[in-house]
This record gives sequence, C-alpha cells and structure tokens, in this order.
Amino acid sequence: MLALRQSVTRRKIALLIILSLLPLGLAVILDSTVAEEGTLIGPVLGGLVISVTLPITVMVLATGAFGNEVEDRTLSLLTTKPVPRWTIVLAKFAATVVVAAPLMAAVAAVITMMDPDGTGNAPLAAAVGVVVGVVAYASAFTWLGLLTTRALGFGLVYVLLWEALITTFLSGTRYLSIRSYIFGTAYGINDVFGEDLTIAMTPALVGAALVTVVFFLLTVRRLSRMDIQ
Amino acid sequence: MTTASGPAVEVQNVSKWYGSVVAVNEASFDVYPGVTGILGPNGAGKTTLLSMMCGLVKPSRGSVRVLGEEVQGNIGLYRRIGVMLEHDVLYPFMTGRDFVRLAARLQGMNDEAAVDRAIHAANLEDAQHRATGTYSRGMRQRIRLAGAIVHEPDVLILDEPLNGTDPRQRVEFADFVARLSTQGKAILISSHILEEVEALADRILLVVSGKLAAAGDFHAIREKLDERPFQVRIGASKQREMAAALVALDAVESVSLDESGSIEVFTRNVAELQRMAPRLAQDIGSRLYRIEPLDDSLESVFSYVVQR
Repeated sequence: MLALRQSVTRRKIALLIILSLLPLGLAVILDSTVAEEGTLIGPVLGGLVISVTLPITVMVLATGAFGNEVEDRTLSLLTTKPVPRWTIVLAKFAATVVVAAPLMAAVAAVITMMDPDGTGNAPLAAAVGVVVGVVAYASAFTWLGLLTTRALGFGLVYVLLWEALITTFLSGTRYLSIRSYIFGTAYGINDVFGEDLTIAMTPALVGAALVTVVFFLLTVRRLSRMDIQ
Repeated sequence: MTTASGPAVEVQNVSKWYGSVVAVNEASFDVYPGVTGILGPNGAGKTTLLSMMCGLVKPSRGSVRVLGEEVQGNIGLYRRIGVMLEHDVLYPFMTGRDFVRLAARLQGMNDEAAVDRAIHAANLEDAQHRATGTYSRGMRQRIRLAGAIVHEPDVLILDEPLNGTDPRQRVEFADFVARLSTQGKAILISSHILEEVEALADRILLVVSGKLAAAGDFHAIREKLDERPFQVRIGASKQREMAAALVALDAVESVSLDESGSIEVFTRNVAELQRMAPRLAQDIGSRLYRIEPLDDSLESVFSYVVQR
C-alpha cells in the first residue's frame, strides 16, 4: 500500500488519464470518419497505444517508484529496516503493474472492440498482450529509476528510438523488443494482431519473462549495493 | 542489551571517497554502551561515518562492525539498530501513529503497545493522529525518533537529532537519551554544536575534514578547546599606542598590525581582553571602533585540536 500510495500522486493520475484518453479520443474520431477494418487496431492500438502511450505510462510510474524515494531521501526509511531487498523491489514493481495494467488493458480492449476486425476474443488478446508489455516495461523502468536520476530522459530515448523506430524497421531486432512481445502474445490468441514483424507467442512470452526477471534481479542487486544518502 | 564484552560499534581504518573527494579518511574507533557524541563542523564527514555505521554507505576501504557483525548487507542486524538520519523525511500523507506503526511492522512487529510506548517516549500522544505533513520541525524530529526506537534497539544512531527542536524539547530529549543509556544501549549522536553534545554525551569523537581528530572523554577535549589562542581584531584610532598597550597585558600572546591598520591580537583569554581593551583605549586617549573575533568558526576551533 505504501508503494502504491507513493507511486500514484495526483499529478501522475492526471497524466495517466490524459495518456489514456488521447488514444481513446483518436479512436472515436477515426471510428466516426474512416471506419475501415484494421484502422483502429493498426495505427491507433499498434502505432499509438502499444508503441508510445503504454511505455510512457509505465515509465512515468516505474521510474518514479524508486526515483522519487531517492530524490526525497525516504528510501533510507525502508532500507534501515530488516526487510529483504527483493520484497522492497517487488512492492514497487507491483504498484506500477497494479495501476498501469488494468488501465492500459482496458484502453487496448476498448479500441479493439471499436474496430470492425476486433471480434471474438480479439479484445481479450489485446488486453493480455498489453499486460505482458506492462509487466516487462515495469521491471525495466523500475531498474532505470534506481540507476539514474535522468531515468525519464533515457527512457524516452529508448522508447522512441528503439521500440518505436529501430525494431519497427529492422526485423532482426524484434526478438529484443517489448513491443514485439506484446504483439506476439496478442497474435498467439487472435491472429488479427499479426503483421510482418510479429513473432510467435512462445518466444514473445519467454522474451517478456526474461526481461522481467533479469531487470528485477538487477534492481535488487542495485538496491543492495548502492550507497543510500 | 549490547554485546556483553566487545564494543557495540567497531570502525577500523575506514575511508570513504567519492571520486577525488575524500569524505572520511582512515577513521578507527570503537563505540561502547552509553552516549557517544560525534562532533564536527558541517561537511566534516559525520553523516558519511554514521551512514557507514548504518550500512547505507559502503566504505571505500576498511570495515564497520556493529554488535560484532559486519553491517554492510546484513539486513537482519537492523532488528537491533535504530536509525534516525539527518534528512527531515517522513511520509506526509501518514499520521504520526501510522508512521510509527509502519516502522514497527517493517521490524516484523505487530505490537500496538510498542507503538504506544514509542509515541509516549517522544511525547507526541496528542498529535499522533494528525498527518505528519502538518507537524512542526520539532514534532517531525520526535516522530522520527519514535520510529527509530519502536523496536527497542541495542544501538541507536541519531544524526543531528536536535535540529529544529526548542529548548524544552532539548531538555526532554537529553532526559530520554539518559534513560536509554542506563539500559545498556549504545547511542551515537552527531552534532555540529559543541553545547548540544556537551549536554548529552559522556564521550566524543571529534571529526574534522574527514579525519578523526580526537576521541575520548568530553571534558578533557573541551579543556583542550578552551586553551586554544583566539585571534581578535581590534579597530582603534591610535593603533600603534594601542598595540603597545595591549601587548603588555598578560592575556595577550602577540599583537600585530594588519594592512588596513587594524590590530590583530592572539589571546587565550578573550573575556579579559574584552574587559581591558576599552580601559586601555581610555588611558591613551584612543577611540575604540570594534573588537571582533577572527576565527571563532567551529572549523578553526576543531582544527586547533587536530594540530595539537
């Protein structure tokens, strides 16, 4: 609860609402004007939500999970208690997932439902894929927030350069992209999410799990070894 | 209770540097049950030393042991250590009681009686249900102290605990610390104010520029400090006559005239100098403009002890 209370400030709630409403609003406008099959799943869900909105939403929450505590020096209140470091990291990580996953999954499901292609279990597939992405991003950005005070800057460069640009055009990099893990997971449930660069569900889930575990362990290691002022 | 025989805290050849900046340089000392004050000017390395004793900062060299165990990475040791760092940090959305309760739960305790005792010791019963964001600085210090002692630690590390407290709270705090020390606990208190430590500690560690300048009984070190020569600048209309008159005083060690025409006096008895200077000025018909200490900073006071 403490991690959740610290992660979700009023300012962050406002930002999350804006980041959620933006693609939904765009989806409503496109739905009433274009109304072609795949328009919402492609450019809005894939191009905007999964490539930009989702990673930025998770980044804002996860980098602040430790970043804010380092900045306001409250981290020592936790680290001078007999609490295993991994439980502190898990609490921070879980706080991000608990807030971002339902929000982003709902946005993805609604946009998919609005698309004429989004029938059957397509909304569920979009939601599951997004949750996988939230978990992987949350782990990576929690580490980044503990590593540097400029986590937001580095995170933005990573999202816009690597996830949104390089892995979109260089097929060999898709196995190293959280965005691909999201599409791969959704594609494994419903093939409406298939595109040229989509990877299969198994490597997508394995990749997401590896990213999550590796960055979680790196965060625990960092918290155990860093000087806390 | 602390370890039956050994020291509560052992600091051996500890250094800490950040890049080219040396924060602590080859410090070695032991801390035993009772109250020990870490005294030094701001930036002397007190907080870095305390942070290493808390396991929050890793020494670049040397070792810190608390209650016989290596403190770095030893999470279980925090059940026996209470920490209150210098930074005035709390969770402002929590009430004081919730803050202390959280500290207890993080210690693995679900004991409301312990929370009551800690809040009572900090004398914050009336304000315990208010959000800490509404607390005064002194109240914030006290609720943080309650959080540090709720698990009744054997070693209590308090960094500048009297910051922001009023005189009455200082007296209460001194009583509180004295009570804890009679229970066999080792209490470390840092301060940059000599009088604060004098009121609390039996033994002091004097830290200057990252080095341990002196360690031992407070009164012996205080005597050394009081013996040091003070440098005083005196402004007068007849500087040469005034200087000649001053140098004849027993209290004065040496006199010189600086470039601006002021008289610089070294004395071991400032009070005597202050009493005599106006009388001398009157005797020689000089006007006395000012008498001001030149080196009364803590840094210079502590540096004197280092040089000795």
